[in-house]
Amino acid sequence: MSENLEPSFVKQLQENQNIIHKICRLYTAGEDAHKDLFQEITIQLWKAFPKFRGESKFSTWAYRVALNTAITLYRKNKRSIATVEYEGKQHFTHDIEYNYEEEEQLKLMYQAVYQLNDIEKALVFMYLEDKDYTEISETLGISEVNARVKMNRIKGKLKKILNPLGV
Amino acid sequence: MKELDLLKKDWQKNSGSFEQVSENDIYKMIHKKSSSVVKWIFIVSIIELGLGLVSGLALSFTKYDEKNVELIKHLGVYGYYITATVVLYIVILYFIFKFYTMFRKIAVDDNTKKLLSTILKTRKVVKQYIAFNLSFFALFFIIFGGYLFYEGYLEGASKNGVIHPEMPLNIALISFIVLILATAIFTFVFWLIYKLIYGLLLKRLQNNFEELKKIDL
Repeated sequence: MSENLEPSFVKQLQENQNIIHKICRLYTAGEDAHKDLFQEITIQLWKAFPKFRGESKFSTWAYRVALNTAITLYRKNKRSIATVEYEGKQHFTHDIEYNYEEEEQLKLMYQAVYQLNDIEKALVFMYLEDKDYTEISETLGISEVNARVKMNRIKGKLKKILNPLGV
Repeated sequence: MKELDLLKKDWQKNSGSFEQVSENDIYKMIHKKSSSVVKWIFIVSIIELGLGLVSGLALSFTKYDEKNVELIKHLGVYGYYITATVVLYIVILYFIFKFYTMFRKIAVDDNTKKLLSTILKTRKVVKQYIAFNLSFFALFFIIFGGYLFYEGYLEGASKNGVIHPEMPLNIALISFIVLILATAIFTFVFWLIYKLIYGLLLKRLQNNFEELKKIDL
């Protein structure tokens, strides 16, 4: 891998790192796992970078590689490997003034999303990121119509998790 | 869905609040080794392809033992023996080539379904290779093991003073069944270990691939 690609890659990744953080947040629980997945995604992006021709935006390309890594390549529950240590916690900080009821609802909602499977999480992730169904379908390799249908089913599933008795 | 909208609002509001990783740390990370499933699949596959090659080599060394060659020639199957060895090598090389070309096709920036399908197809190549090797050696074991036992029995009988020794049908049948059973058990155990390793490595990939296929049904 050519050395002179490094600075350009590192700079672009540094600027777009929140994409990776968000995926880690959805696919891992706990700080160590977050760091672990962050590093694996970074490595996969770097390995694929020589092929990145700039036909799409770096961020669009990074979404795809990062999601693929989380869904297919990453090994869960493995022993902790040597990860580069960096400072700081990876949780969200919330505004001080908040609505308790909303906060409770959000907590339940996050818990519900965690119960979804890998593919469902990917759809929810892109939905939360305001991606259109064209991009969702192209990223996952499914048809646009079916991506919509699946998203509706996921909403139903989430409702059921939140309210199992249907009352 | 009201809750999902709420989540979306919160998600987007907080999407910038992660502790940032410095450029320096990213430099360090890209020089670390990947621990991805694909890498493990590659390592395990190489070991398997290598094992096949080694056992093939070990088998072909039997040619250099004059006694073996004599026995094989005596049995009148030398031609078959050479053909079998050549076929074995051609097939092994074919599988290695196919594995290599499939492996090169694995691209992490393909869409998810295609990526999963390429990884699983690559694994299938190795699976077919293992199946081929197991059946080849099972067959080899049964045929040559059978022959050797038969020859050994006759030799033993003639040493004991039997002039035109013949193997009674019941002994022939029983020994044949025992041989087949032993081979079957050995092959089955090997296959089980193999399935276990891959079950562990590929379960998640397979589940996700099934899930994606289901969406498009």
